[in-house]
Amino acid sequence: MKTLAFGLLISAVTSIAQPRQVRVEAHVFPGLERMDGNWAALYAASDGKVYAGLAYHGGDGHLVYYDSNTGRMHDVGNLTELSGESALRRGPQSKIHAKFGEGKDGRIYFGTHAGLWWDYARFATKQGYPGAHWMAYDPKTSKVEDFGLGVPNEGVNTGAYDPQFNRIYGLSHPRGHFVYYDVAMRRAVDKGRINNWESICRTLGIDDRGYVYGCFGEGRVFRYDPRSDEIRELSVRVPIRPKGISLGRDYYKSETGWRTVVWDTQSRQFYGVDESATILFSFNPYEGVDGEMKRLGELSIPEFRGRRDVPYATLSLALGRDRKLYYGAAGREFDYGGSAAAAASHIMTYDLNTGRTDDLGEMVLADGRIVLGTNAADVGADGTIYFMGAIEVRPEKGKPVEAAGKVGDTWYRLALLTYRPNP
Amino acid sequence: MRRRDLLLALAGAATLRAQRDPSYDRSVVKQTRIDLRNLGYPPEDVIPPDESAIRALAIAPDGAVYGATSGKRSHLFVLYPQHGYVQPLGVLPGVKTVHHSLVVSTQGDVFIGGSTGVDNGGAGYENYAGGHLLKYAHRNDEQTQISIGHPLAVADLGAPVPGDGIYSLAIDRKAGTIYGLTYPHGHFFSYDLSGSRFRTHGQVATERMPGEKFENEYAIGRALAIDDDGIVFTSGQGGRFYRLVPSMGALESLNLYLPAAPGREVYNRVDAWADSGGLLYGGTSDGYLFRLDPKTLRVENLGKPLDQARIRGLAFVGDTLYGAGGDDDEMARLFSYDRARCTYQILGMIDVNHRPYYAWQAYVVDALAAGPDGTVYVGQAERKSNLYLYYPESK
Repeated sequence: MKTLAFGLLISAVTSIAQPRQVRVEAHVFPGLERMDGNWAALYAASDGKVYAGLAYHGGDGHLVYYDSNTGRMHDVGNLTELSGESALRRGPQSKIHAKFGEGKDGRIYFGTHAGLWWDYARFATKQGYPGAHWMAYDPKTSKVEDFGLGVPNEGVNTGAYDPQFNRIYGLSHPRGHFVYYDVAMRRAVDKGRINNWESICRTLGIDDRGYVYGCFGEGRVFRYDPRSDEIRELSVRVPIRPKGISLGRDYYKSETGWRTVVWDTQSRQFYGVDESATILFSFNPYEGVDGEMKRLGELSIPEFRGRRDVPYATLSLALGRDRKLYYGAAGREFDYGGSAAAAASHIMTYDLNTGRTDDLGEMVLADGRIVLGTNAADVGADGTIYFMGAIEVRPEKGKPVEAAGKVGDTWYRLALLTYRPNP
Repeated sequence: MRRRDLLLALAGAATLRAQRDPSYDRSVVKQTRIDLRNLGYPPEDVIPPDESAIRALAIAPDGAVYGATSGKRSHLFVLYPQHGYVQPLGVLPGVKTVHHSLVVSTQGDVFIGGSTGVDNGGAGYENYAGGHLLKYAHRNDEQTQISIGHPLAVADLGAPVPGDGIYSLAIDRKAGTIYGLTYPHGHFFSYDLSGSRFRTHGQVATERMPGEKFENEYAIGRALAIDDDGIVFTSGQGGRFYRLVPSMGALESLNLYLPAAPGREVYNRVDAWADSGGLLYGGTSDGYLFRLDPKTLRVENLGKPLDQARIRGLAFVGDTLYGAGGDDDEMARLFSYDRARCTYQILGMIDVNHRPYYAWQAYVVDALAAGPDGTVYVGQAERKSNLYLYYPESK
């Protein structure tokens, strides 16, 4: 009996000392180690290629893809060059800051974004950012088509592509306008102001009717109808924690709406998390006149539940082929080089069939390095879960550090992360 | 990675967090000096998006602040300073745009000039019957329940120029005359309140401004000013001043030009006016502030307060002139000009950041007025707009 008790004690101590871990594989971007961030720009295409937008503040961002069939990484190009603006010597195309989409023609559609805003002192000036370009990458020809400067002086902060209407939608930064590019009509449209600078909705959701949804105000939702070209404000509310700004949280993080949503083709509803406390909810746009919101739980790491300092929600939510939601939960407030300190990210899951939430543990690489944070997720055709984020870089004596910068005191670089759920 | 590259990378990373941090508050108007009002009682009883752009404000003799919105429909609203909230009064029938065309008579009657759109290359005017001058005689507004969307009871005084909309209005309260300009063709008209008659006096522009084939704008002044003698001033073709001496009846094109960079006169027009001490102060579309002595016709260029185009609103509070500038694709900024010291103060971008309760920045403004208590009202002109209140520092 004493032996058994001792064994249990040892086991308990061991479990406290070694938090649960989940192994992920990292694919880095050779020659692009300085790229310093990625937000939302990750897409697992139907042909096995996984596209990502690599941000580089103060310089040129890159479009890259990982071919899961060959295991090779490809650099499609420098976004400023692809926009034909290298000779301008103005604000560079530093990011793809929004989701990609795949057209019926197999092309990958997206919009570009700026990196730095200089307190808007250079906005609409000759030194300032010229504006976002709408673009498409054709994997058949390996060429990018630039549809031109579609959002003067502003970037595409948030975006989504709808193959049904063949349109790239976006919310601009800093003015928070709802904009789109109609690919067939070759027409860029600006529908005007939706959000304020501190609360630009970070994800647009598109349902199977082609309605586009976003959030505004305090947990409110708008719907754009592509048939009437009208925006309507709905009566439903995103379940958010009472509004406030946490100490230590970035000034422009508003905590007023959803952070991200994903569309479930099976149940024909959205699943999403709010910005503030990572509250998980479903939004069924077919229910009633304005749809129905349901709070399902929370996807933050369990130790944060009920605390005020829940890390700001990430954009890393994806619906797996196994009917589980996968979420990259930050171990502490995370925003790449803007983070105050390093902590390991976790993978959280929510099983849509059972309603069970699981913490799969800290994301670690085979060599023990941790994943410092993620801000995009998607699912491959084979069920592989992809995340984009920052991995720890351990300096090696006598060698230059290949890193974008530091998260707290820890060197980091960007990586595409893969997690394969149990078959 | 080379050391220099690494340092550059680190510098970039360090700024990630600083895109919009508290230092941004240095760029905007001091937060203890500014507030905003929603246009009604949200979320339901508020002038809706796409109908809320404020492009006209006027102060009534009793201090009430009237405003008219533009968009898919136009609404009239009022703010009584005693109450402090915006009260939507109703939809202006048949009107989509009210641009600088709102005046209040000595009796408190509100006159509104309607159009179907402005500064859009004349779009929508192909089959347009003409913008009407409307009269709203307020009765018990403070007791009226907000009812968004109901038509406002107004008297239709007719269309001054068939086919054109009304672009700007000014009122001579002493003479009982309203003066106006039309869009897109720049007709100058007057309306005699006692006789209920329109009269046209000619055009301030007859040829479109030089430009590309897709451009189709005439250099029509966006505002009218009336001096102490009842003489009306605006600008027109070629960046010239235009004048109407009511006793003469005919519009004069003066050999006098708005301040402009040489060569740009043809694109320049007056955007806003304010008067003080017998002098007229104006702001141009190129962003210059000037002073016009209407008696000597001497123009002084007071320079550019902002590195931006447009001065879209001006109003005096005591000896200080407040103005707002910035084109539609820029960030609007507020400035002041001290008439006595001849100095500018740049007050910053027009942002209300009262988080966690509310926050909204005005990127485009198109109207400005000062109440008797010195509050400066700033009308935002975007899809979702609010009325901003700026409280000047007392000296």
